[in-house]
Amino acid sequence: MKYSSQKVAMPYFIAALALFFGQIVFGLIAGLQYLDGTFLFPDLPFNVTRMSHTNLLIVWLLMAFMGAAYYIVPEEAQTELYSPKLALVTFWVFLAAAALTLAGYLFVPYSQLAAMTGDAILPTMGRGYLEQPLPTKIGIVLVALSLLFNVTMTLIKGRKTSLNLILIGSLWGLALLFLPAFYFPDDTVKASYGWWWIVHGWVEGDWELILGALLGFILIKMTGVDREIVEKWLYIIIAMTLMTGIIGIGHHYYYIGAPAYWIWLGSIFSALEPIPFLLLVAFAFKMLLQRRREHPNKAAMLWALATPIVAFLGAGLWGFMITLAPVQYYTHGTNFTAAHGHLAFFGAYAMVSLSIISYAMPLLRGREANSPSAQRWEMTGFWIMVFSMIVITLALTGAGIVTAFLQRSGDNPLGFMQVQDKERVFFWIREFAGLGFFSGLLVYLGSFFISGEYDYASEAKQALSA
Amino acid sequence: MQQVFTKSMARNIFLGGAAFFLIIYLVLTYDSWQQIPKRDHADQMTPAVIAGKYLVDTHDCIGCHTINGEGSYYAPELGNVYKRRGGAFIEAWIRAQPTGVAGRRQMPQFNFTQSQLDDIVAYLKWLSNIDTNNWPPNIQG
Amino acid sequence: MKTASSAQPLPGDFAIWVFIFAELLVFGVLFSAYALSRMSNAGLFDASQATLNRSYGLVNTLTLVTSSYFVARATRAIRHGRSAACGRWLGGALALGALFLAVKLLEFHDDFSRGITLSTNLFYMFYLSLTFFHFMHVVLGMVILGFVAYRTYAGAYDANRYTGVETGASYWHMVDLVWIILFALIYVLH
Repeated sequence: MKYSSQKVAMPYFIAALALFFGQIVFGLIAGLQYLDGTFLFPDLPFNVTRMSHTNLLIVWLLMAFMGAAYYIVPEEAQTELYSPKLALVTFWVFLAAAALTLAGYLFVPYSQLAAMTGDAILPTMGRGYLEQPLPTKIGIVLVALSLLFNVTMTLIKGRKTSLNLILIGSLWGLALLFLPAFYFPDDTVKASYGWWWIVHGWVEGDWELILGALLGFILIKMTGVDREIVEKWLYIIIAMTLMTGIIGIGHHYYYIGAPAYWIWLGSIFSALEPIPFLLLVAFAFKMLLQRRREHPNKAAMLWALATPIVAFLGAGLWGFMITLAPVQYYTHGTNFTAAHGHLAFFGAYAMVSLSIISYAMPLLRGREANSPSAQRWEMTGFWIMVFSMIVITLALTGAGIVTAFLQRSGDNPLGFMQVQDKERVFFWIREFAGLGFFSGLLVYLGSFFISGEYDYASEAKQALSA
Repeated sequence: MQQVFTKSMARNIFLGGAAFFLIIYLVLTYDSWQQIPKRDHADQMTPAVIAGKYLVDTHDCIGCHTINGEGSYYAPELGNVYKRRGGAFIEAWIRAQPTGVAGRRQMPQFNFTQSQLDDIVAYLKWLSNIDTNNWPPNIQG
Repeated sequence: MKTASSAQPLPGDFAIWVFIFAELLVFGVLFSAYALSRMSNAGLFDASQATLNRSYGLVNTLTLVTSSYFVARATRAIRHGRSAACGRWLGGALALGALFLAVKLLEFHDDFSRGITLSTNLFYMFYLSLTFFHFMHVVLGMVILGFVAYRTYAGAYDANRYTGVETGASYWHMVDLVWIILFALIYVLH
């Protein structure tokens, strides 16, 4: 850590991890409700569990991205953050808004929440991931504006590296792409078409730019590779992201009422969407091979190298499997999509967030790297979480395939619940893998409480005696 | 000097490529905007349909169900439920919730009035007539 | 300063070749998709194809081939250090590019006044999206050529430094090549 104002990243990272914990708890409840439909009903209907699970995901990722921005932007710009105080106030506002919103979900019936918060004036509620009441949505915009103001002012007074430009540019994109959340036309097809501007625009567009910037920063710092090379790679990767992903949005338009030409255009361009992820893998390993130093933070390196791989599997491979229109005809709206969603969100965005946290947290706590035993805990947590998430993905994929065969095809297609009953084994596997993930998360979080820092002398001695 | 792939070249490809595809997307979206009202019979969006849609949104139906494949996978597809079950069944079903059957997935009781139920059915009927390129593959959704 | 010697297998900047390759890949996929869907809808495709006015396509093919020749002459001129001639050839190519766009717009206007849209049928979907996608490439090619022409007039290129001209020329030839395939595939072959 080179500038004291980078310290404001710390509350963001801690809150991100706390919210991550909450997300997993709601995930476990949701998984159990798949198996026992009366579990916690009517106090916690499934839709509330689910919106808590997904909204916590979004909020903790945004927390992590913001923390990352407050950490990276000053270091790249080689100057103190424009206003650390504003960043701190923004943090508390954001956390309070998130907590209030969650409380609203849990304790107020959704329709009543809508009535209380002025949804009738400007309807925005009742769409996946965008369930937040109007005041929360406005709050998100204000928080984003505060972040943008702060980092942009920092950039203006400091060094303008390409990496910083990409990071700050994509944060602007993130905020701009949220604005269609306020556009919710009565025409369901148009509403759905526009909903993807946000959802696809974020996860298959803008966030990939953020992912690239965070990964690029970590790799520059940890491998000591020349930034020119890293930044050139980044531009190529994000160029491929947008050149495939913008028209690739068409793979969401096949069966929602949009014109038929999206079937062809969406299939062709979205089939190319794995390319940037493949490039990301190549990039990370090329940088590793060209490294000029051995960084003591092995755990962060593990996260950073695994992120593009799992992202490629989840976003690239699993996305590709269901992206072509003839396949999606059967998998659309099944748990196959949920499988892809889980591995993609985890592999790309959760893991890159945990990468930057793993890299920056020791520095924020005043040491270059954690003690070897803390790192071992962290890496054990890593493996348990990654393995569990892959099992969750496979289980949901199995469930999706069963639906595709029994409910979507054949001469005597079965009804929805009949098919769900036949998928119980997959839902059980998913729930147990979820518990596995939870235990991995506990191990991971536990690593933060193992004190001590990386000691070069004793490590060298150990290496010699070994 | 024969330069090989420089950073500024990569940046130009990024900016140019993004702008290029954004323009194409905007043109296609303009066209889609002309087509969608025909495909979903926007002229049949009566006040009842719009009111029904608002009820469906503010009760977060897509938190469990899907509409044309979008939403959650906890409960059946609503895009074609009108064709699958018919209006009378849908009303009776919503009124009868929750079933309370042990272990079965439960839907809350929303205490809709008769006119609200009529609106919801009107919306679901409108939904079932959207041209979705023949999706879902069969009536089971 | 080193010239692009014979040891260099590709003229122009390497980046443009990566880009050209990616472009050809996308067009290749689009053309394959066209061919694939034509197989199962041959009757529809032939009937719709017959409604196209081939003279537009033919004029535009000749326009682009000629402009490609102009661009080749521009490259040759700069290799001999004649930058004024190079600029004139590039200007000619740009004028022909503009002519192409004008003719194509005229044809689009005809199509739209016949009530054709992307949703009319599968053939027109491919016809409109492929020609529009290519149209955008001509625009982009003209931006690149315009930039190169501007730099030529500004004296940035001479007999020893002409990578920029070659880079622009390579891209323009690609745009021309794609059109020739497109013309043959969509306007002629049935």
